[in-house]
Amino acid sequence: MNDKLVVTGMGIISGLGKGKEATVSALLAEKSAVGTIRYIQTMHNDIPVSEVPFSDSDMKQMLNIPEEQLITRTPLMGIVAAQEAIQQAKLTENKPKRIAFINGTTVGGMEKSEQFYIDFLENDSHSEYIAAHDCGAGTDDIADYFGIFNTTTTISTACSSAINALIIGANLIKAGKVDAAVVGGTECLSKFHLNGFNTLMILDRATCKPFSQNRAGLNLGEGAAYLVLEKADEAKQRGATALCELSGYANFCDAFHQTATSPNGQGPFLAMQGALQNAGLQPKDIDYISAHGTGTGNNDETESIAITRVFGEHTPDFSSTKAFTGHTTSAAGSVESVISILAMENNFVPANLNFAEKIENIDIQPNTKTKKKEMNHIMNNSFGFGGNDSSCIFSKIK
Amino acid sequence: MEIFIQSAAQISIQNPLCEDWFETPIIPTLPYNRSIEPDYKQFILPIASRRMGKLIKRAIATSLSALKQADIQELDAIITGTGLGCVENTEKFLSAMVKEGEEFLQPTFFMQSTHNTISSQVALFLKCNGYNCTYSHRGTSFESALSDAFIQLKLGKIKNALVGGQDEMTPDYFNMLGKIGYWKTEISPEILQTSNSNGSFAGECSAAITLGTEQKEQSLCKLHDVELLYKPSKERMQEVLQDMMTQANISSIDAVMLGISGDQKNDDIYKDFAETFFANKPICWYKNIFGESFTAPGFGVYTAATCLKKGIIPQHLRYNNIQEQELRTILVYNHFQNKDHSLILLSKC
Repeated sequence: MNDKLVVTGMGIISGLGKGKEATVSALLAEKSAVGTIRYIQTMHNDIPVSEVPFSDSDMKQMLNIPEEQLITRTPLMGIVAAQEAIQQAKLTENKPKRIAFINGTTVGGMEKSEQFYIDFLENDSHSEYIAAHDCGAGTDDIADYFGIFNTTTTISTACSSAINALIIGANLIKAGKVDAAVVGGTECLSKFHLNGFNTLMILDRATCKPFSQNRAGLNLGEGAAYLVLEKADEAKQRGATALCELSGYANFCDAFHQTATSPNGQGPFLAMQGALQNAGLQPKDIDYISAHGTGTGNNDETESIAITRVFGEHTPDFSSTKAFTGHTTSAAGSVESVISILAMENNFVPANLNFAEKIENIDIQPNTKTKKKEMNHIMNNSFGFGGNDSSCIFSKIK
Repeated sequence: MEIFIQSAAQISIQNPLCEDWFETPIIPTLPYNRSIEPDYKQFILPIASRRMGKLIKRAIATSLSALKQADIQELDAIITGTGLGCVENTEKFLSAMVKEGEEFLQPTFFMQSTHNTISSQVALFLKCNGYNCTYSHRGTSFESALSDAFIQLKLGKIKNALVGGQDEMTPDYFNMLGKIGYWKTEISPEILQTSNSNGSFAGECSAAITLGTEQKEQSLCKLHDVELLYKPSKERMQEVLQDMMTQANISSIDAVMLGISGDQKNDDIYKDFAETFFANKPICWYKNIFGESFTAPGFGVYTAATCLKKGIIPQHLRYNNIQEQELRTILVYNHFQNKDHSLILLSKC
């Protein structure tokens, strides 16, 4: 019995557009989606963000959801991305017996709550959105749309939510609880977290510059992405194509500070090292790291230190794609998993845009231009508030 | 491999960090109830305590208490379920932003508003670098966390775990949920038992349990299985129940612990479940003394585990008058709005 877990479907929506093709085109063209605010109502309209280029109505039309149906932006984006993944994996055509939907989000229905909060408290004019506020509400909306899931749950570990969703889905399959899992995350921009990150003074007023000495913070983005996981043998039996193998993953906690990473990057170090051990791979085997690389002073320095601690002289090509998509927070883990798998499929290392010079006292620097390269093993990092640090490894099918 | 619930601790609307609820429960009389706070000095230095929100203090106190009872020195995983996360901090930031505008906001409440603040503050307090995760999935948040720990123990990825169900209910959130039918205006044991109107009454939940793979003297019970089901058909439910019992080599369930709360719409689902699968079995409840909250099922597991350890079910937890011949196995069943369902199978050590 082959216990290998494979990815049989992927779907994505971000500032770069809807779908895998649009994503690859933008990556190859080195075209950033970070720009001026269009949808969010805020006084901070000088802060650049990466918004999904569709209104809620646009997405409802795409999905044949009636305009009057009550559904918030986070699940709408989620449905768009999940649909692409489900179709590619042929989940509805040839349905595995038990499918889990593991969704990562933190913002949940906040984009409506922040609009109607006074109404929630003082009158009944928008009380229908009260039930849409919590994280799980959107997950159930997505599950209801497809009607194929037998288990659903919601992970909320801030910026590492989606990668943890992937880990939980993988464990559920390995434990025999489900036969396939649709895993990932979705998060729309909200005035709430735009202001939150702004008070932390970690938002760059220009496009972010990950791993560059002159970096000045992150750009927020929104998006959703999902992957379909299942056992290699069962995928084959169903007639689904294995896109790559999920060969390893790990989740550790930095346990240092609510919003800052420890100086030696202990949590990120443990996550990367744990993923390698779980995959049975050596540092030299990894061809590319899709770094968390937010563009903040603290993340990029500590992530670099952790990468050096794990990989040393074998440090592979690495880049952060956040200057393309913005930081899609709870969705980042799956958005960047899909991006890096697409890069492996299409034999290129994505560029780390806007890099000027390497960080002082750090010896490594990212890959700054799109580079042709055949890759066998790639690592994806996601680190969140509270020191929730996770890494996973995808490998080419041999 | 066998998995055990090694210890448990609660802070709720019952007397905190003890089992007074087992013999002398406080009978709730109001629709809105806040938890009774213990003296936190034994757990947290006053200087640190002043900077922490209620929910974080409760999470740390229940966690430390459960870890101490189980005598766990090296913890492999901290997993929390929370329906609303740190809602008090979320409201403080949201309210300032909506009422006073975007100009003068402070970062503190935002930093501590994310749902994973609970798990990560516990990890920070314990200096625990192990697995750390947070589930926020409506009324099955706690069971999602429990399932994660259970699966990782089964897969041999961890040797022990701290699992928490943590939710606070702020006055504003209570009022908001009241607008969409969550609460009754009046409650009494009779009104809850009759359940001929919609809505229940609010409590708050801080329940921490530890799991491990070695039976110890203090172990409360065995945890055989945790299943999370989305909109299961009756046939599917039957199949899962049968599988669970076969896997656990259990031929009969001695009592069923249900999330009945006096809310007619939800209680009807529980009654239908009981009649379909467990007719003539003892039916128990716990929300009548702990109240409703998104992670209230944490109290379901806690009370069932305590009953198994003590070998008896107290009268006030009995929903019907059927007596078991012997108390060896309890099935805990919960559902949220008939969408998300959970089944947890426990037996005495």
